[in-house]
Order: sequence, then structure tokens, then C-alpha cells
Amino acid sequence: MDVFLQVLANGVMLGGLFAIVSVGLTLIFGIVKVVNFAHGEFLMVGMYLTYLAVSGLGLHPFAAVILVVPVLFLLGALTQRFLIQPLLAAGDHHIQIFATVGLSTVLINLALLVFGADIANTPPSGLRQPLQIGPVRVLLGQVVILGTAILLVAGLQTFLARTRTGRAIRAVAQNRAAAELMGIDVNRIYALTFGIGAACVGVAAVLIAPLYPTSPNSGTYFVLIAFVVVVLGGLGSIRGAFVGAILIGLIDSVTGFYVGADMREVAVFGVFLAILILKPSGLFGRQLRLSHVSP
Amino acid sequence: MLTLERVDAGYGATSILHAVSLDVRAGEVVTIVGANGAGKTTTLRTIAGLVKPTRGRILFEDEDVTRLSGHEMVERGVTLIPEGRQLFPEMTVRENLLMGAYRRAARGRQAETLAEVLDLFPRVRERLDQNAGSLSGGEQQMVAIARGMMARPKLLMFDEPSLGLAPIVVAQVFAVVDRIVKTGATVLIVEQNVFHTLQVADRGYVLENGEVVLADASAALLDNDHVRRAYLGI
Amino acid sequence: MTDIPLTAAPSAGLSAFPRRGAAALALVLAALVAVPVAVGNPFIYHVFITICVFAALSTAWNIVGGYAGQLSLGHGIFYGLGAYCGMLLVGAGISPWIGMVAGAALAMLVALAISYPCFRLHGPFFSLATIAFLEVFRVLALHFRDLTGGATGLMIPLKFGWAWMVFRDRWPPLAIAFGLLLLTLAVAWWMRTHRIGFYLVATRERESAARAAGVPTVGTRLVAVAVSGALTAMVGTFHAMYLTFIEPAAVFSLTLSIQIAMFALIGGLGTVFGPLLGAVLLVPITELARGWLGAKALGLHGLVYGLVLVLVVLFLPNGLMGLVSRFTRAGAGTRGVQAGTVAAAPRAAERRPLGEAVIRVEGLQKRFGGLHVTNDVGFTLREGEILGLIGPNGAGKTTVFNMISGFLKPDAGSVSVRAPDGTWHSPGRPADFAALGVGRTFQIVQPFAAMTVEENIMVGAFYRHRDVREAREVARETAERMGLAPWLGSEARGLTIGGLKRLEVARVMAMRPRVLLLDEVMAGINQTDVRRAIDLMLSIRDTGVSIIAIEHVMQAVMALSDRVIVLSSGQIIAQGSPQDVVRDAAVIEAYLGKEFVHAHA
Repeated sequence: MDVFLQVLANGVMLGGLFAIVSVGLTLIFGIVKVVNFAHGEFLMVGMYLTYLAVSGLGLHPFAAVILVVPVLFLLGALTQRFLIQPLLAAGDHHIQIFATVGLSTVLINLALLVFGADIANTPPSGLRQPLQIGPVRVLLGQVVILGTAILLVAGLQTFLARTRTGRAIRAVAQNRAAAELMGIDVNRIYALTFGIGAACVGVAAVLIAPLYPTSPNSGTYFVLIAFVVVVLGGLGSIRGAFVGAILIGLIDSVTGFYVGADMREVAVFGVFLAILILKPSGLFGRQLRLSHVSP
Repeated sequence: MLTLERVDAGYGATSILHAVSLDVRAGEVVTIVGANGAGKTTTLRTIAGLVKPTRGRILFEDEDVTRLSGHEMVERGVTLIPEGRQLFPEMTVRENLLMGAYRRAARGRQAETLAEVLDLFPRVRERLDQNAGSLSGGEQQMVAIARGMMARPKLLMFDEPSLGLAPIVVAQVFAVVDRIVKTGATVLIVEQNVFHTLQVADRGYVLENGEVVLADASAALLDNDHVRRAYLGI
Repeated sequence: MTDIPLTAAPSAGLSAFPRRGAAALALVLAALVAVPVAVGNPFIYHVFITICVFAALSTAWNIVGGYAGQLSLGHGIFYGLGAYCGMLLVGAGISPWIGMVAGAALAMLVALAISYPCFRLHGPFFSLATIAFLEVFRVLALHFRDLTGGATGLMIPLKFGWAWMVFRDRWPPLAIAFGLLLLTLAVAWWMRTHRIGFYLVATRERESAARAAGVPTVGTRLVAVAVSGALTAMVGTFHAMYLTFIEPAAVFSLTLSIQIAMFALIGGLGTVFGPLLGAVLLVPITELARGWLGAKALGLHGLVYGLVLVLVVLFLPNGLMGLVSRFTRAGAGTRGVQAGTVAAAPRAAERRPLGEAVIRVEGLQKRFGGLHVTNDVGFTLREGEILGLIGPNGAGKTTVFNMISGFLKPDAGSVSVRAPDGTWHSPGRPADFAALGVGRTFQIVQPFAAMTVEENIMVGAFYRHRDVREAREVARETAERMGLAPWLGSEARGLTIGGLKRLEVARVMAMRPRVLLLDEVMAGINQTDVRRAIDLMLSIRDTGVSIIAIEHVMQAVMALSDRVIVLSSGQIIAQGSPQDVVRDAAVIEAYLGKEFVHAHA
């Protein structure tokens, strides 16, 4: 029984990790309607920055937030402004996919050139300390990640619901043309949203770097899971992404323990394909018009 | 107030407007008449900054606004109530109306405008906390018009306000348009019910294949043989 | 290599490949063989073999990613299946040539199984699904290590000779790689210039319009993906033998899959020879960087790839081939005013009497959400009859059209169509309606934007004529009749709205329909052309075609219709002769307005 509880706890902790990585991705998809294939590389960049800040400047990972988050916000906003925005008018998904795939290729190989293929280990700074909560043991860093994920989800929801800018962001997502007619600078909102999405993954990077090794390919693993989570939760739904992340974390953990560590991905991607094919709107998303004819 | 000088415009390689010239003076109600696909909607969208002219000039209050984008036109006081309502379906009616007041000049007087607008649209008041997507077509059109007024525009443009509405509702929408016209607002309106709009409007332009073929006072257009044959089905 | 009859492709657009282009292609292909043989350096051999391999992979990918527009990022699956099939059979003492065929067959089956459910997905979702499948294959290959060798990979036993596809000399692998490239190019070129290529591009551009034109959209794409998968697997088998070693991470690889797609995009998505061009220009960068700089250059070639990709996406969305054709093709498109005269069709002196019923519609019901958009609609269309369908916007006219052409399933009621042999059928899907001779146009025009006017009409003509030449002939005749002849060679996206409306009709007419459903085809046509269009409709009717027309232009409704049905709020509120209907009180109330009557009086 204790073992099972431990497996569940691991799953929830893993879910928190997936959630914090996915929030930005779903935000960008929901508002800008672009699937950002470079999302994982944003995470990787953030992890390297954290590594540099912690082992180079001797900062505590939490302090590295001040450095990492603004840089990623900028990276995101610039990506939108100079890579995605010129392509939005074309309305061609193919080109958008290749744009972010190309960006991802550039970032991975840039990291290879600068840091080499070796793994960079960010000093754990106490975040690997185990915590005993009742019958289960988890790491302090994992709890921090889960807590931050919850705060991030709640914070974003409130921001979108209550503030003028948040409402403008939602308006753009729901009806871009009408938003423009309200006097909203749609391109500014897109850049802002992309920036916020990237900043979210910056927060994730700072918390993940002390727990996981950083390498040029770090992002790839996380982003594939993030796509699964985001599709499961309903593309664009922030709350859905959180629930989806916890579910995937549990599936991953349970399969890993009871079936075999190497079958975890098969289970996770199996769920992903089933959802994609059977219910593409996800568990919580409304029916999305995946293809639509623009007038 | 608004002047178009030989404007060409279109989408991508498809050119729709050819040398369209028209003007709207302050306090005037002007209508554009034409068949489906003649370029009426494109004209309004071009004025609103959503379609960029490929040739010609647009002046608003003596400023060259030809190159301005949609949100910049709204800031200057030009509001388009688009065809097909275009509400934000997942937002409440109240949120939709507040989005209407996004224009800086309207933000400060948001509460005041809301009260005024709700006086004009009692039905909208009852629906304030419902999602806009859950309203009927007629109610949505009312909200769309109310939302447009929230911007306190200098020039209000209507694109087919009666499109896709039941005849009874059409009458209600026209009543609202008439009331707005009576407040002395400057209005540019495109509407398939040519007969009705020509009675409300001061002047009209007839658009065919993206060109202005006729411009005259409304009364004269109502008597014009070509207009009667082509648009009134007589 | 001149066995590809390039010069036999006439016409513009799809198959436009001027003589100069053919010469350039021959030169590139010749260089692929001549350069390494002349230089004789093993490293140069290796670079050119790699070019051939990736050019072939990319060309095969392009059949799905380019022609069909389904952007697979999982082609590593097929490559891997070919590689493993070859390796495992060699391990069992069977020649890799047999492995190549077996791998191709297996890849074909897997491609069909994977793609069938995935084709419902569009754009990035399809790509994501293919990535997910790729990951599953990679993990499974790692998991079943008894079969695949797991992470340690598989090594071929060194048995030399043609039977084992392993050589001491450098030229035989080059010959095989080059042969595979030629095969792939030939298949890709054949598909592009025949009916299936037109169908694939049409489906990519506008799926619903393609279905209306009788294109079996799912079947066509399945064929494409099966062919693409098989070719990819064949190259995979060869490449495994050439490299002598494979492991799951290297073959079921996302990086590899992205690279394959990348060459095609950089070269020119959907063009026959773009992928070749992309590979020729980019592969040497990788191989040279690897050869000269070794480990120091780790990441350098990838960085170059990524940057080139981003730059191409931003500045050359049509790839290098787009750049090439921009310089070689003189201004083909005619722009400007397209008054376009509709040919005055000679009319039969006497009208044939109305025949038997061809379509019977009974008790149609349709709800969207809570809204009753069609409520108990029933009518009959007779042979040679023109039925006008009028009513206010939102009355449900187009919904009725969608139900009598298979695009929407009614909640209740039935639509029956009489076949030429007199039997009655209840077709379900758009293809079934098309098979019975029911053709339709769309209110919001749906051109295949990237195709020329001629090619657009050919998509319709293919319905009755499999042969490209015949289809082109029919398309030209139809264009002549519809007044579109001057724009045959221009891209459809350059037409005015009136031109696009006529193109809609032309595409359906090329299918030689028995029943024509026209959705507001007069809208946007100027007044003089309305008269001509009316004559055209009448002449079409006189050939025995029955027509149902949704129309707002009352002039046309009055002149054309034998009978008029008025819809309002999803219900038929009146029907009868045009003269009776316009006097009907309910019709005046709901649609025409009192003004119409006042004006009449």
C-alpha cells in the first residue's frame, strides 16, 4: 500500500513538473494559435541560463529567476514579432510549423556549439533534499515545482479574467478581427502573449535545472510530454493543461513501476494518440475547429 | 470628415475596389448600395484599416490615414460594427461591452457610456451576465451595435446589420439604427435592405464591380431607374 | 538518366518544365554520378551517396508532405522499418534485395494503418501525431531487444557482393543510391503529372471542393502515403547496408525525420524536383563540416540547417524552386479587369418537355444546437427543370444544399436520386452524390488557389476522364463555354470574385453532371453578364441537365425558374411559378419586403 502511495506521489510530483512546462505552451497555442515546436528549446535555454547564473555567478536558483524570466520573455516576444508575425498573414500551417521547427534546430545546435554535448549539472542548492510527508518521500524541489505550477495556473487565470490586458488577450483569441475593431493592437497582444508563455517556461527552467541534468537535448523530452499534456487538457485551456499534466504524471509513474520503465513513453504516447484521434478537443476543451475556411 | 480619393483595394492578388471615391460629412448618414460581391464590405473594411489600399488616399478629419491599421483607426474615432456580429462568444455581454470601450478616449467614461447605451438597449441590460455566444441572433446584433457605441466613435459604420435575422428582428434592428441616426451621429451604412436604408440616409453611393457608378441624394436614388431595376427588383 | 520523359509534359503549372529546366536537371543528375567517379576520392563518393539517399528520402516524403500537404515528421518510421527489415533478413541469411521489398511492403501496411486515423487531423496536429508514432516505434525498438538488438544496435555480417549489397568498391553503392533516386523521382514525377497528383493537390487546397468534384480524398491520400512509405523504406534498407550498422535512436529519429522534411521545404514544397535541389545544396554542408572540422564542428551543420530553414520560411516560402521559377517564368498570369465575356451559347429552338423526377426530397430536418435550421422540407426536381430556391439570409438554403449533396447528414427525412437506369438510390457521402451525377458549387467560392484555372477545371473533368490529355481537352472546352478561356494558364487566386464564381460552375460542368446545384452564382456578376449567365444556364438546361439554383438576383430568378421554392426560417413558406410566388403575402412579408410590392404597383 505504501508503495502504491509512493508511486502516486511520484506521479503527482511528475505531473507538477509537466504542468509547469506546459502552461506556457497552451497559452501560446490558445491565443496565438501557433503550435510552438521550439517550446522545449526555450526551456533548454532557460536551464542553461540558470546553470550559468547558479554555477557562474553563484546565485541561488530562486534568484536566477530575475535573470532568466526577462530573457525568456524577450526571446518569446521577439520570436513572435520576427518569426511568427510575418507568417500569420499567410495563414499557412506548414510554414508556421517549419518556422518553429527551424528555430528549435537553431537553438539546439547553438547550445551544442557553445556548451558541447556534455551534460551541465546545476548545483542542487538544497532542492534535492528529501521530505517525508506521511508515508511518502518526495524532494523539496518537486514540491516547490508543484506549488509554483499551481500558483502560475491560478495567477494566469486571474490575469486573463480580471485585467483589461487579460481581457484583451482573450478577445484576440476568441475573435481576432473583432478585437482589432475594438482598437486592440493585435500584434502587440500576440508578442505579449508569446512573451508571457516563454516567461512561464523560464520559471519552469529555473526550478527544473537543479533537479535534472541540462544538455542541448533536454528540451526535446519535456516538450513531447508537454504536447501530450496540452492536447489532453484541451489546447489552449490552462486549467485543462494542469489536470492533463497530473494525469500524464500518474500514468507515467504507474506504468513505469508496474509495467516497466522503458514502457512509460509507449503508454503516454498511446494515450496521446488515442485522444488526438478520438477526441481532438481534449478532455476539457470545447470542440475546436481544427480546419476552418476563412472568408 | 471622411474622404476616399480613388482608392484601390483587395485581398492578396484579388483586387476588389477600383478608384473608389466617396466622402462623409460630419452629422451625415450615408449608405453604400450594391450587389453581393460589389465591394461594399471591402469599402468599409478599407476605411476601418483592416484592408490596405493599393492605391489612392483616405483622409479622416484632414489627416492622411491611408496606411493606418485597424486599432489606430479606432483610436481616431472610426468604429465598424462588422457583418455577422463578431462578438466574443466566450465572454459575458458585459465584458463584450467593456471591450468596446477599449479605445483610450472611451476608457475614462466607460461607466457613463455603459449607462447611456443600456438605456438605448433595455434588452441588453437583461443579458449582461450571460455569455455572448448563448444569445439569439437578434440579441447578438443588439450587443454588437451597443459594443460599437461604447467606443464613443466619431464615425460609426454598420455592415449589413440585418444580415441573417428574422424579419421581425430586422424591424427592431432598424428601429435602433434609426434612433442612433436621430441622435445626430455620423453614420456610414451598408445594408441589403436598400429601400429602408435609402429612406433613412441622406445620400447614397451605388457600387458595381468595385466601382462607384452613381452617387446622389437618397431621394434621387429611390427614383433612379437603374437603382429601381437592379436593387429594388422593380 | 534521360529515361524520364520530361519534355513530354506540356501545359503550365503542375507540369511546366521548360526545356531549359530539363537540361539543368539532367546536368545535376549527371553530376551526381560524374563528379565522384572523376574525383575517385572515397570521401567524395560518400558525400554523393549521401546526397542521393537524402534526395530520394526527401522526394518520397514530398509525395505526402508536399503534394498531399500532410506534414509528416515521422518518416523515420518507414526508413527504420526498411532498415530493420533488411538487417534482420540479412541476419537470417536472406539477401537485402528481398529485405528491401519486404521492408517496402511492411512500411506500406504501417503507413496505411497509421495514416487512416491521422488524416482527420490537420496542420500541426497531424505532425504531432506522426511524431508520437515515431516515438512509440523508437521505444518499442529499444524494448524488444531480442529482435532488434535494443540500444546496442545491429551490425551486418560482412558478406561482400551484389547479392549482399555490401561492396569493397565505392561505385556500386553510388549506382544503387542513384538508381533509387531515379526511381523515386520517376514515381514522384509520374504522380504529379497524372490524375492522382491533381487529386492530391486539390484535396490539399480545398478538401470540401475536392469531395464535391468527386475526388476520393481519403483513398487518394492513402495511396500517396503508402507509396511514399514504401519508397522511404527501400532507401532505408539500402542506407542500413551502406552504413553497416543501425540502432533505434539513429533510424527512428526525429532529427532525421525533420531533416527529410526540411530538404523538401528548402527546395520547394510540392514541386517534383525541389527536394533534390534542397539535398544537393545542403547535404554537402553537413558532410564537409563533419569531414573537415570533426568534433569541433559539433552543432555547426545543424545550426546552418536551422538558419537556412528559418530564412527560407521567412523569405522564400516557395523554396528554391520558387526562386528558380520566378526567374524562368515570364509573367504568365493576366491581371486586371476581368470583364470576361460569357460565350453566347446557341440555344435549341424548342424546349424539351420536363422529364421524370430525378431528385426526391422528403421531410428533411436539421438542427444545429437548439436551432431548427431545416424543418420538414420536401420537394421534387424533374429532368430538365430549373428550380429556384430563394429566401432571406439565414433561411437555411445552403443547409438544404449541403444535405442534398452529402455534405451534411439530415437528422430526419430522405434524399433520393434517380440513376440513369431508372433505379432510385439514397446516396450518403458527397462521392455517392457525385457518382449519381449530382454536382454542386459553393456560395463561398472554393478555388484550388495554387492551381491554374485549367487545372482547377481538370479536377472536375477527371471525374469522367482518367487520361490527362482528355481531361485537359474537356477543361478547355468548358472554359471556352464559361468565358474563362483567356485565363486558362493563370493561377486561380488571381481571378476576381466574378471569375471565381464562373470557375466554380466550370469545375462542376466538367464533371458532366445530370443535376446541377448552384449556390448564388450570379452574385457579384455585373448586370450585363447576368443576362448572359441566364442564357448560359438555359442552354445547360436544354442539354437535359436539371438545376436547383439558390439566388438573390430576382431578375435571374424570374427569368430562369420553372418553379420557385421560398424558404424562411428553415421552412417552405411558398412554392409555385415565379409570378405567383412574388405575389404571395407570406413571401412579401418574409423576404421581398412590402417595398417590393409598393414598387411593383
